[in-house]
Amino acid sequence: MNHFTYGGLTASEPAERPSQRALAKQRTREKIVGAAKALFAEHGYGGATIRDIAKAAGMSTGAVFASFTDKSDLFTEIAEVEQAELHAAMRAAADGLTGREAIAAMLEAATERHLGSLALFQAIMSALWTPGLAEKARRRLDRRPAAALILASVEQEIGSESGGCARFTAEMIWDGYLATLRRAAVDGLTPDLVKARIRDQTKTILAGVRRA
Amino acid sequence: MLDAARQLFEEVGYEAATIRDIARRAGVSVGSVFTGFSSKAHVLGEVIRGRREELYADLERVAPHLRGSTADRCRSLFAVHYAFEFRRLKLFLAYISVAFEWREARQSVDLPVLGANPRLVGMIRDCLAEGVARGDVSGDLDLDQAVDLLLGAYVWNYRLAAGDGADSERLVARFDRQIGLMFEGFKPARAGAPARA
Repeated sequence: MNHFTYGGLTASEPAERPSQRALAKQRTREKIVGAAKALFAEHGYGGATIRDIAKAAGMSTGAVFASFTDKSDLFTEIAEVEQAELHAAMRAAADGLTGREAIAAMLEAATERHLGSLALFQAIMSALWTPGLAEKARRRLDRRPAAALILASVEQEIGSESGGCARFTAEMIWDGYLATLRRAAVDGLTPDLVKARIRDQTKTILAGVRRA
Repeated sequence: MLDAARQLFEEVGYEAATIRDIARRAGVSVGSVFTGFSSKAHVLGEVIRGRREELYADLERVAPHLRGSTADRCRSLFAVHYAFEFRRLKLFLAYISVAFEWREARQSVDLPVLGANPRLVGMIRDCLAEGVARGDVSGDLDLDQAVDLLLGAYVWNYRLAAGDGADSERLVARFDRQIGLMFEGFKPARAGAPARA
């Protein structure tokens, strides 16, 4: 193990060492994530191997495993970053809007983002649906569902006193969104058609809830 | 061979079942599996096609007995669908997962398109069209889009079975409620009420 330690550096620059190493570690992770993202998008979760990812990142499989415990760990990190960026884009789009306008703006922003990286979306969805394949990923991603983001706007639209109904409606809107997006990704719908459908179906759901 | 594949996918799951296992269970050589099928996904596609025929038979048995509102009739059709798929749940979840896979893989295996199930779509569409005639579904409703919305919600509920271990009763109850809300939106605008924006 001796050649893995940096005794000299420790002695002369005790404060510098952790941040330098942390930076190098971070750069390695970013390199791996970049290569993996492209390969997952190209071949799907099952089709991309750690060996291919290491090769594309220009390092050994051992180096990949030093940064990530396994493929599902690496995949989850990518999916989490995607999710965080998606949520940020949705929040920014709804800034200053309320109710149905906020919901429409958030879904529009999500559509733009998802249509821009359909292959990766498809790979993430496929992995999340596979029983046992990415349990950990599912658990980590389910903690912050996108439906929670539109919940406040749904409450403004239909009233928060409706109890569980607003949550149910928010989930329904988001599920409907994902189902339509799935058709765009897999069965081929044009971007304009996808956007129009998402607008219409959201309107139908909200109209139904307001009447009920 | 398709029977052997269906059993294996159900017992050990799609990911874990190998072409070799399928051949052994069916009592044929690995080579002969590959003469009929290009890949494991292709085998899954054929198994799913066979299952669809059985589903239609189930649906057609209940179709003449549907009563009540259009929403209730739809609830009955989808309850049959849930009950049917839960009998081979692993198989259906594997199908949803593979149906998401990368286009090139899909094109080569000719997997049936998820949610584009011509006879099922036709049956639900007919049910909605009858609702228009009966007056509890708006004539302005885009029926194809409404069918899509129903099927989309139907399929997405399976994520609770994949991740949460939900049973068919929980999914049926959830979908009953979703149908209730959706059909409020499908209704004709009330007389005297302002038109929907």
